[in-house]
Amino acid sequence: MKHFRKGLFVGAAISFLALTASAAVAETPKDQLVIGTSLAQVLSLDPQQATEGKANEIMCNLYDRLVLATPEGKIAPQLAESWAIDDKGITFKLREAAFASGNPVTSKDVVFSLTRLLKMNQAAAANLKRVGYNADNIEKLVTAPDEHTVRIDLSGEVTPELLLYRLAMVTTSVVDSVEVLKHVKDNDYGNAWLRTNSAGSGPFTLNRWTPNEIVILDVNKEYVGGEPKMRRVVIRHVPESQVERLMLERGDIDIASALSASDLATFQNKQGFEIQRVPTGGFYVLSMNAGNQYLSNPKVREAIAYGIDYAGIEKTIMGPYGRVRTVPVPENYEYAISSPDWHLDVEKAKSLLAEAGFKDGFSLSLKTIAQTPRIDLATAIQASLAQIGIKVNIQQGNGSEIIAAHRARDFDLLIPQTGSYMPNVLGSMEQFSSNPDNSREANNAGNFVWRSAWDIPELTKLTAKASLEPDAKKRGELYVEMQKMFVDLKPAVLPLFERYEPIVLNARVKDYVGHPNMTTRLEAVTKAETE
Amino acid sequence: MKELSTSELGRRVLQLIVSLFILLCVTFVIGRVMPADPVGAVVGELADPSAYAAMRARLGLDLPLYQQFFIYLTGLLHGDFGTAILTGNPVSKDLAQAFPATFELATLAVIISTFIGVPLGLAAALFRDSWIDKTARVVALVGHSIPVFWFGIVGLVIFYAGLNWVGGPGRVDVYYEGIVTPRTGLMLVDSLLEGEPEIFWNALSHIILPAIILAYAAMAYITRMTRSFTLEQLNQDYVIAARAKGVGPANTVLGHVLPNIAVQLITVLAISYGNLLEGAVVTEIVFSWPGIGQYMTNALMIGDMNAILAATIIVGFIFMFLNFVADIAYALLDPRTREATQ
Repeated sequence: MKHFRKGLFVGAAISFLALTASAAVAETPKDQLVIGTSLAQVLSLDPQQATEGKANEIMCNLYDRLVLATPEGKIAPQLAESWAIDDKGITFKLREAAFASGNPVTSKDVVFSLTRLLKMNQAAAANLKRVGYNADNIEKLVTAPDEHTVRIDLSGEVTPELLLYRLAMVTTSVVDSVEVLKHVKDNDYGNAWLRTNSAGSGPFTLNRWTPNEIVILDVNKEYVGGEPKMRRVVIRHVPESQVERLMLERGDIDIASALSASDLATFQNKQGFEIQRVPTGGFYVLSMNAGNQYLSNPKVREAIAYGIDYAGIEKTIMGPYGRVRTVPVPENYEYAISSPDWHLDVEKAKSLLAEAGFKDGFSLSLKTIAQTPRIDLATAIQASLAQIGIKVNIQQGNGSEIIAAHRARDFDLLIPQTGSYMPNVLGSMEQFSSNPDNSREANNAGNFVWRSAWDIPELTKLTAKASLEPDAKKRGELYVEMQKMFVDLKPAVLPLFERYEPIVLNARVKDYVGHPNMTTRLEAVTKAETE
Repeated sequence: MKELSTSELGRRVLQLIVSLFILLCVTFVIGRVMPADPVGAVVGELADPSAYAAMRARLGLDLPLYQQFFIYLTGLLHGDFGTAILTGNPVSKDLAQAFPATFELATLAVIISTFIGVPLGLAAALFRDSWIDKTARVVALVGHSIPVFWFGIVGLVIFYAGLNWVGGPGRVDVYYEGIVTPRTGLMLVDSLLEGEPEIFWNALSHIILPAIILAYAAMAYITRMTRSFTLEQLNQDYVIAARAKGVGPANTVLGHVLPNIAVQLITVLAISYGNLLEGAVVTEIVFSWPGIGQYMTNALMIGDMNAILAATIIVGFIFMFLNFVADIAYALLDPRTREATQ
């Protein structure tokens, strides 16, 4: 009833709005870019600590890295002008650049930043640690032969090419060591200070960050690429999708992300606005706990794979958020294989359950965060699994509850989402295909596969082998083999949909190119005069 | 009167402290058994177990519950609310930033609701069953039954997006952000102190809609209560006598009724004010208002216990304190309650 009443009034109000729509539309100043989004997950702006996507989007404009990955997935120079690869490592030549403080960017800063990353040993360090760099060996492996040269030795667990992709991540951003060292307290590597301040050489500097309110970036006059067109970038926390939509329509913000599906739909084909579907390389996933008596059986997992109405869900729920894909590698990546023939087939799923000895079905719980589109996805899965005899009981929670349950292996089914850190098979697949020690004692909660208690020694070995294969062609063959093996094993971490981040832009905004790794740089963005 | 002040005051202060302590204990226990993972929020989802365990120990979450409580209490007695996970700042610093925003909103709301609610209630009682009374009753009923959240959205659709009469979410337009240095934290005051009238008007256009919406529910309550207090008085002999002597309705109300219901009204206003401070939560989310309500909501989302506890204690304290003040005012001003307690 409440909903009905709410709907009725909102309808009336919107009709009223349509009648009075001639009211003047405000607009943001021409030299300021205003973004509306949810900043709730941003907990730190220290590049060697924060890993959350929204924080990455901010930090990648404050800091430069040695190299960057273009939206198309190619490695390009940033602070490094050039680099030479040999058998043992990579030697980078730095360009002449300066930090916002005026201090020159030197090889010492690069060494400091990488060492800082691994010594602080937070989640941000995970991607380098996974390939053999750690707090104990980093000082030996990263050196500064002279002021403009940086040498990074290979750890023996990664090829130079794949190391470059890791160096393109925001976590390896180069911080101003002189500034940061001024603010060290209790051996914290300046972390407490850098969480809320910036010390970088990117196109912008941090003017202000008030958690859950606003982030203001000012132009960095020292920026090596010349001053950006936007004098200021304001990122405003707008937790309510409907409110964000109104602000975009009114012209108070230029770009809106984190809109709900229905608010997004109102901008479809609307004049003066543009919807961008930014690919993430990541997935919406159904995690099945292989420690569960039913889900440990590959036949049951296969039955579930045949018990989901992918096409129907894509059409009615995912829309701008994703497209069907049941191999954890985006379809357009090189060496991606096509999805296996998993589609809703009630009879086949039932017979698989019967073969597994569960003719009469059983009950499972499904945990998910209460957010679009995951909550709707959960409901749809519940409905289609009911048809094959699996009764699903949905438990909703907020982000930290669900992550805690996932980390503790405390679930039957759970819907997490992933992202890709480099645009190749390994970048998107590694988190689905590597679990070095499945024992509970290993307590490897940072590992996506471990959380599902899915023991895959062969696939783990193959993943490690691919990471080390220097020959591109052979590596490609290994990539194909990995994906096939993944499908054959009837995954306990079942990718469902390739994930997109939909954003809506005011058409005045030009040259905003959403980056798949949430590292969209804003220095080239301009705003046209209103027509 | 003096006797009352000392013994009664002492008893009530003690009551206040005990209530606060109970609130603290309950919030603490609920917060610690809640299945949120503040450690994960700090170190990140992919952190390895050693980093996770180290942070857990640093936050003191590996200690038994009673020890954690004792440590917290000791800190609290030294005025230390701990560090917020969300921001890495001392919680007291965060609250000093968030509280003025809520305070400004709630204060404006209580002023609006008083200035409309009291006269409306008086008029409704005076012209009982007339159209004024009926209107007042409908207004009060609507204010009581429609959720603030929904009101906020519709208000924005009509007055912000449609008619362009008021500013949008947030405390000022973006291009004014960061110009005024916070001194009191109250945007309306600070902009004037800085000599920026333009920003003052902009801030006023932003606060007016959320303040009215927040005020509406309180106004409904104030109107209803004023009406019933007044009706009660209108049947008293002294009013009948006054009217028989030819005193006009306006003078009856202002000269006779209002002074007599003033004490009861103070209680109602104090309770409303407390409710407004507490109830700002939803309004703040709809209007992206960076106050204590939004701060608390986000802290809850990641299980940031220090922040939740401190915010709960502050809001709880204000609520209890306002009640306490109302009670004391009641006891001091109303001779009947004074006799009763004696």
